Amino acid sequence: MPPKQVQLSVANVSKSFAGKNGDVNVLDDLSFSINESDFVSIIGPSGCGKTTIFNIIAGLLEPDSGTITYRGQEIDSLRGRVGYMMQKDLLFPWRTVLGNVLLGLETRGVDAREAEAKAHEYLKQFGLAGFENAYPKTLSGGMRQRVALIRTLIMDPDIPLLDEPFSALDYQTRLYLEGVLKDAVQTYKKTVILVTHDIDEAVALSKRVVVLSGRPARVKVVHEIDIDATSPVTARNDANFATYFKTLCAELDIQTEKTA
Amino acid sequence: MTMTIQTAAPVRAKRKLKLARKRATFDTTLGRAFLQIAAVAIFFALWEAGVHAGYVSAFLMGSPSGIFATFYKLILSGELLADSWITLFEAILGFVIGTIFGSLFGLALWYSVFVAKLVEPFIVAINSVPKIALAPIVVLWFGTGLISKVALAVSLTALVALIAAYQAAKDADVDLQSLMISMGADKHQVFWKAVVPSTLPAIIATFRINIGFGLVGAVVGEFISSQRGLGHMIFLASSLYDLNSVWVGLFTLMILGFVLYYVIDIIERTSLPWKQATTSHQIQV
Repeated sequence: MPPKQVQLSVANVSKSFAGKNGDVNVLDDLSFSINESDFVSIIGPSGCGKTTIFNIIAGLLEPDSGTITYRGQEIDSLRGRVGYMMQKDLLFPWRTVLGNVLLGLETRGVDAREAEAKAHEYLKQFGLAGFENAYPKTLSGGMRQRVALIRTLIMDPDIPLLDEPFSALDYQTRLYLEGVLKDAVQTYKKTVILVTHDIDEAVALSKRVVVLSGRPARVKVVHEIDIDATSPVTARNDANFATYFKTLCAELDIQTEKTA
Repeated sequence: MTMTIQTAAPVRAKRKLKLARKRATFDTTLGRAFLQIAAVAIFFALWEAGVHAGYVSAFLMGSPSGIFATFYKLILSGELLADSWITLFEAILGFVIGTIFGSLFGLALWYSVFVAKLVEPFIVAINSVPKIALAPIVVLWFGTGLISKVALAVSLTALVALIAAYQAAKDADVDLQSLMISMGADKHQVFWKAVVPSTLPAIIATFRINIGFGLVGAVVGEFISSQRGLGHMIFLASSLYDLNSVWVGLFTLMILGFVLYYVIDIIERTSLPWKQATTSHQIQV
């Protein structure tokens, strides 16, 4: 096996926000790195600044200090090169399914006919053929989140950033979409960063899990998940699954006691 | 311990069912129209009867029979249609110009928070002036013709549209905008693809209010000084104590407003198909 290449590294990033009682330190000297074709989950107590990290990587926020290095080059942010997917599906209600999927390509100025052909191909692959002209309002939560996933992947982002994308869905739909995601990541060979509060999901999907401590967020420990399963469902049956799950639970519990 | 609960439920349920059945025969488009027309007919019949019995002064209140006779006369002479057309034209022109410019200006304020904050007190100040009070100046500036009425209607409608558009642009979902920025969109793309479409429902909602204000501007302008239009007709007739003609003018204005309201309703429903799209089930409360 060739040595793992670092694709993205975040080094010594700090960020604080002005609050009522002075500045709130959300990120303090945070560093971690992501390898090529990695699938990294970031878990931590709620409100520890997971979303802030994403906003900094996506270029929606500027860090107070620290550097981001991408394939050996120092950059400001990955704006325009990441795909952002959140818990809210953020579909544009006035656009049809097709229109929503095309949003990113339109923004990028891709030829309309070419973009549409690509969109139809993706919709078909994700089982949404026939829903092109439906408005988001008429779709189920799972379907809407699938449209959001297509909208993210069709941009061919360098790194999809997934911010608790499935946490608003029921368990069955979540299991199904985790499978869809895992397949898609393998098909398109993507590096993925997933923020989740669901330990179960983190273990079932990831190659590595980064555990953050409470505010201000620091990397507490990084676990390599050595489960070689074809789907998130079979991963949950793996012999090591329970051990990873227990370890991560323990680590998070200690912190909740500390922050409480 | 046992408790006996006395209940009138079976009887009540039966009565409810009977009522519901009765209601169902009238709760159709035709049934409702029948009830509505009947209400209007009863109202006019009582009025007419009051005039004949001497309880209502025909001199101060007019009478339905007189109103219908005047209406018929003015339709035949063509005066009513000519006046209606002029007032309608002034109102619609004022509405369109005021709404378009107001909305565009309000939306443009989204671009710069600095400029928006700078002009906000001025907008509030201008908005707090009762625009009707401008009517005499508007006539001085724009004369007694079409332009002064349109200008008055514009002054009434533009600020309503401006404030609604600005507010809606400010309230546009930040997450949708963030999503577009993360995709690499520039400010113009965020504006046109995320902000403008999300403000459309609010802007279209102002149409309903503004079409009424358009009529107000036109009629008040005609009151102040004019040779034509429904406002002029009402003003002239009331100074001659011709109450029947006044009512004809008022009812015609009511009809115009009514028709315009439904035209706006159709525009609202057809221009935002995504708002109309529903899932298969509709709830019943």
